[in-house]
Amino acid sequence: MGNSEKKRIEIPEICRVEGHSAVYVEIDQGKVTNVQLDVFEGTRFFEQIVIGHHFEEIPHITSRVCAICSSGHVLAAINAIEHILGFHPNTTVSLFRELLHLGMVIESHATHICALALPDFLNIPDLMEFASAHKEEFSTWTILRNLGSAIQTTVGGRAFHPVNMHVGGISRCPSGDELKPLLEKLSFAQQKAIDLCSLLMQFQPKVRRTTEPTFLALIPNKGKYGFFGDTVKSSDGWEQSIQNYRDYLSEKSVPYSHAKQSKGRGKPLMVGSMARLALFHDLLDGQAKHIYQSSPLASGDTNTILNNLAQAIEVVHAIERAQEIIRVLQEVEEPQFAHPEITKLKPIAGSGSGAVECPRGTLYHYYDIDEAGKILQADMVTPSAQNTARIELDIREVVDQTLGKTSDQLEGNLETLIRAYDPCNTCATHMVSVNYL
Amino acid sequence: MSTNQPLPRIAVHSLTGCAGELLVILENLDKLLPFVHVTSFPFAQGKNEIRPVDITFVEGSVSQPHDLEKLTELRANTRWLVAVGNCAVWGCVQRAGCNHCSVQKMIDAVYGTNSPIEALPAAPLDHYVPVDVKLSGCPIDATQFLAVTANLLRDHLPYVTHKPVCLECKLKENGCVLIEKNLPCLGPVTAAGCGALCPSVGAACYGCWGPCEEPQMEAMATILSEKGYQLDEVLGRLQAFGAPKELFVRLEKS
Repeated sequence: MGNSEKKRIEIPEICRVEGHSAVYVEIDQGKVTNVQLDVFEGTRFFEQIVIGHHFEEIPHITSRVCAICSSGHVLAAINAIEHILGFHPNTTVSLFRELLHLGMVIESHATHICALALPDFLNIPDLMEFASAHKEEFSTWTILRNLGSAIQTTVGGRAFHPVNMHVGGISRCPSGDELKPLLEKLSFAQQKAIDLCSLLMQFQPKVRRTTEPTFLALIPNKGKYGFFGDTVKSSDGWEQSIQNYRDYLSEKSVPYSHAKQSKGRGKPLMVGSMARLALFHDLLDGQAKHIYQSSPLASGDTNTILNNLAQAIEVVHAIERAQEIIRVLQEVEEPQFAHPEITKLKPIAGSGSGAVECPRGTLYHYYDIDEAGKILQADMVTPSAQNTARIELDIREVVDQTLGKTSDQLEGNLETLIRAYDPCNTCATHMVSVNYL
Repeated sequence: MSTNQPLPRIAVHSLTGCAGELLVILENLDKLLPFVHVTSFPFAQGKNEIRPVDITFVEGSVSQPHDLEKLTELRANTRWLVAVGNCAVWGCVQRAGCNHCSVQKMIDAVYGTNSPIEALPAAPLDHYVPVDVKLSGCPIDATQFLAVTANLLRDHLPYVTHKPVCLECKLKENGCVLIEKNLPCLGPVTAAGCGALCPSVGAACYGCWGPCEEPQMEAMATILSEKGYQLDEVLGRLQAFGAPKELFVRLEKS
């Protein structure tokens, strides 16, 4: 290919991701001139949808931004609203919420790793072949996602879009006896998750970005590896309260996509499992810590594709932590009686934010409430919106390296690269309305 | 039946939604795979072709011209079209959003006034094409989904219940959270199928499966106002999950 030639790489629909997106790369004079990740999922204007609704309704409505991380949207909304109302849940409620969240992490990560990412490494063209020719991996996925779904059903009342989690608490805390079967499922699944880590360590990434990403994640509460916190930390060395997220997260809309792009202090960000492990691996314990230490992540390898492995390590962590939580809850919960643990909160006019570490990264919800408890203004920043700029940069760096070489696998490799971020386009186009600044 | 006979073909697609139905279908595929050939399911597999199929499941609402083109193509290539989930059957929360704010206004607010973004007011599938089976849910119930699929594979149009949630709630012998706890339970006007999940955990049904058959919205609003809820809040709750505006004409006048 001569240098003067213009070339365009197009992937019109990326399969095996949640939602709809496409990639366009333009090459001119032997250089990548343009990279566009076009999210063409229809917009849903969530920040407009919630306006005028009572704060009690908000977790149920925002849950619908995304099924796979619905528990995350529910908890981010609850955190924001309880922060505004000055309510602090008791330990039982906090533990049940964390358990629900871990169920989501297990189910989401397992589905992404096994059903969406693994087919690239095992060369699986369709589901039929996955189920028949790769029985072991198919069964690992089934076991892990059934586990995540059982945890969410027991705690949240439904596999996703939980009915049991509310502003002010939980309408029905499951009894000790209901939690018991989860322990058996967790200990059975643990080895499967560990095996999944070993499997993922065998795959050598075919492409490699050339610059180090900036990682951003919530500093976990109580000095333990986890998914809840009030302050973010960046791999560039700064920390900031999520109440001021508008100061460090800028957002712009791009003409070619329905999803907005967020940057952290002006730089493309990578959020999600790899970011959390890079920043807080010191807080891991148990098997998850051992696996991390023997993985390329521990020696500082930040290849995008390793995010799949980072997710698998988090599944091991989530399984261990869920067992710990259930044992604590079994000590305090009656074996046979479920009970409500909910406080009816009085509205107070005010505004504030809540954040959680969703499977794909930090999710922010912001609300402004009037004295009757109705939403005046809302904003959400999703992990996928934060990752988009870095995905485009990754694509640029990978395509740059292939210029002048023959690369018949490029499209496929780019899809694998994008998929490693586990992009969630239904989240990315929820959609963001910016009336601030 | 000869063993060489080709398996019935199914397709699974999404328009604008939360991908919840795709997840439920994906999680139950192991039960279906022995009986069907999955011709296309872009969420779950890399190799997809659009060709005539026996059953197409579509989740999501029509919210942009691209959704409409896709839906038209899918309809033309399928014998049975099944609308799965509240978004496809009623339009869900995004339709409710369009009830109180015009799409152009929302685009202007979000993307600026000269944006090339095209959007349509969120609408259910049957607003544009004939739909053979409407299977609501948010998300759909796996057992109902498998029963509907089994029926269609046997060439029967399935029966899907649209009776109110109260029916299932009474069968479960739950205490009534509306009468006894004064919670704003929408069970009396919401389609059943979930198994009365919210009242079973002591919470109010918030209507996520869409309206039941012949919903008595005025009576519902009267009860809630007797419980002390303001009419505008009641209307907001009743419409939050895509119930069509026509059901509220008389209430909005009052």
